[in-house]
Amino acid sequence: MTHMSAPPSRVPRAPGEAHVVRPSMSARERLARIIQRRELLVGMVRNELKIKYKNSVLGFAWSLLNPLLYLVVFYVAFTIILGSGIPAFPIWLLSGLLVWNLFSTGLGAATGSVVANSGLVKKVSFPREILPLASVGSMLVHFFLQSLVLFVVLAAVRWHVAWAYIPLIPLALIALLLVTSALGILLSAINVYLRDTSHFLELALLAWFWVTPVVYYFQLVGHRHGWSKYLWLANPVTPIVLIFQRAIYAKLTNPHPAGGGPPIQLLPHWPYWGFLAYLGWSFAFGLVTLTIAVRVFGRSEANFAEEL
Amino acid sequence: MMVDALRGVSFAVEAGSVYGVIGRNGAGKTTLFRTIAGILPPSEGRVTVWGRVTPLLSLGVGFNRELTGRENILLGGLAAGLDEETVYEHFAEVEEFAGLGEAIEFPMRTYSSGMFGRLGFSVAAHLNPDILLIDEALSAGDAAFRRKCMPKIVELCERDCTVMIVSHGLEFVKQLADRCLWIDRGEVVSEGPAGDVVNEYLAADSIDPTSAVALEDV
Repeated sequence: MTHMSAPPSRVPRAPGEAHVVRPSMSARERLARIIQRRELLVGMVRNELKIKYKNSVLGFAWSLLNPLLYLVVFYVAFTIILGSGIPAFPIWLLSGLLVWNLFSTGLGAATGSVVANSGLVKKVSFPREILPLASVGSMLVHFFLQSLVLFVVLAAVRWHVAWAYIPLIPLALIALLLVTSALGILLSAINVYLRDTSHFLELALLAWFWVTPVVYYFQLVGHRHGWSKYLWLANPVTPIVLIFQRAIYAKLTNPHPAGGGPPIQLLPHWPYWGFLAYLGWSFAFGLVTLTIAVRVFGRSEANFAEEL
Repeated sequence: MMVDALRGVSFAVEAGSVYGVIGRNGAGKTTLFRTIAGILPPSEGRVTVWGRVTPLLSLGVGFNRELTGRENILLGGLAAGLDEETVYEHFAEVEEFAGLGEAIEFPMRTYSSGMFGRLGFSVAAHLNPDILLIDEALSAGDAAFRRKCMPKIVELCERDCTVMIVSHGLEFVKQLADRCLWIDRGEVVSEGPAGDVVNEYLAADSIDPTSAVALEDV
C-alpha cells in the first residue's frame, strides 16, 4: 500500500527511538508493548469504573448489592423451594458465586470492549489488547469489593475456613484472570466482525453457569461415571470455583441431610495436590487460549479502524 | 472487494518542519495519517518514524464523551503514550490553552464540536509530541482559536517537533507548511515546496484561490 522511509536530516532527540509501522508484529512484541503501556491500562480501568457509576445514585453500592440480591433469589429457590441440602447455603453460594461473577461480567465486558471504545481505536495507536484487559481489570476491582461482603459475613458468624487451602486462592484467582482475559481478548476481536458475538455470549454464559458447580455441589456430578462427566470436568472455571469452596466453605460433607439418611458428600476428598493438579487444567486451558487469542487479535487488529 | 486507499506513496519529512498534505475528499489523506500513526498498519510497505507520533484526527485524541474534559486530558495523554507524571506536569498549560473555563469539569458529551477541537489541539500540542499529525482538527475552532494555534505550531517546530497538516484550507498550508504533498485517489500527484504544490493544485482543480471556501474552510 505505502512505502515511506523518512531519514531524518537532524539527529533524533533520543537515539534508538526509530519505530517502524509494519503490517504485522510478533506475539512477543505485542506482549512487550502491553507491559510498556501499563499506565494506560490502569487509567482505562479507572475510567471504566468512573463511567459505570457516574449517573447512578447508589454508585459502588450496586457492586455489593448485586451478589446479595443473587443470594436472596438462590436461597429462596434452592433452600426453601427445592431443599438443596447444603448447610449454610449463603456462605456456600457466595464462595463460588463471586468467582463466577468475575468470570462472566469480565468476559462480557471484555467482549464488547473494542466496539465500545471505537472512538479511541480509530484515533490513537496503542496495544488494543489493553481494552479487553481493562474490562477484566475493572471487574476485578468489583470482585474485591464483593469479597469484602463475604469477609464480613464470615467474620460475623465466626466461620471456620480451611486455612491450609487459603494459599491456593491467589493461585486460583490468577488462573481465573488468565482464562477470562484470554477468552476476552479472543471474543473482543471476533465481536468487531460479528457483532452477534455479544448476544450469543449472554446465552452461552447462562448455560455455562449451570455446568459450573456454583449453586449445586461438585460431588453431585463428580461421583458419576461416563464421558459426560469428563466433559463437565473440562470446564476450566470449575477447578477455580472448587478451590474457593474448599478453602472458604471448607465443609466436605453434609452430615445431617434434611430428609434423613446417610451424610451427603459435597466436595471431593482430594488431597492438597489433587486440587492443585485440577487447577493446572485451568492454567493449561488459559495459556493455550491466550496463545490463540493473541494471534487472532493480532491478525484482525489491523482492520479494526476500518471495521468500526 | 479490496480497495487500495493508498498506492506507492513514498516521501520523507524533515524533522522540525511543517508538512502539508492536500487533496480532494477521499484522496487518502486521513488514511495516510492513520497509517503514519500506526492506527491502520499498511498492508505492504512500511513507515519509519523517529519519535512519538501524536495524531489529532477528527478533533479528538481518543476522548471519552462520558468523562469530563479534565479526565479526558489524562486519558488523551496516556493514550498518546505519555506517563501520568508527564501529563500532570503539563496539565495547567493544556487547560489554559484550551480556554474552556469551568466547562472543563463537565462531561465532554456536553461540548460543542468547537470546544472538542480546542481541547483536542491543546492536549496534542502540549504533551511533548515529536510528530504531530493534525487532520482538519483546526476547522472546528473559531477564528480566534485558530489564530492562537498558528504560533503554537511554529513554536512546536522550533522545539524540533515535526508537524503534518491535512487541510482544505490552502492558505493555511501555504502560510505554515515548508513542503507539501498532493495526493489524489491514493497516489502522489505532486510533492515539493508548499507554495508551488498548492498553486499547482489550484490550477489543476480550477479552484479560485480567493474564493471564500478555499480560504475559510481551514
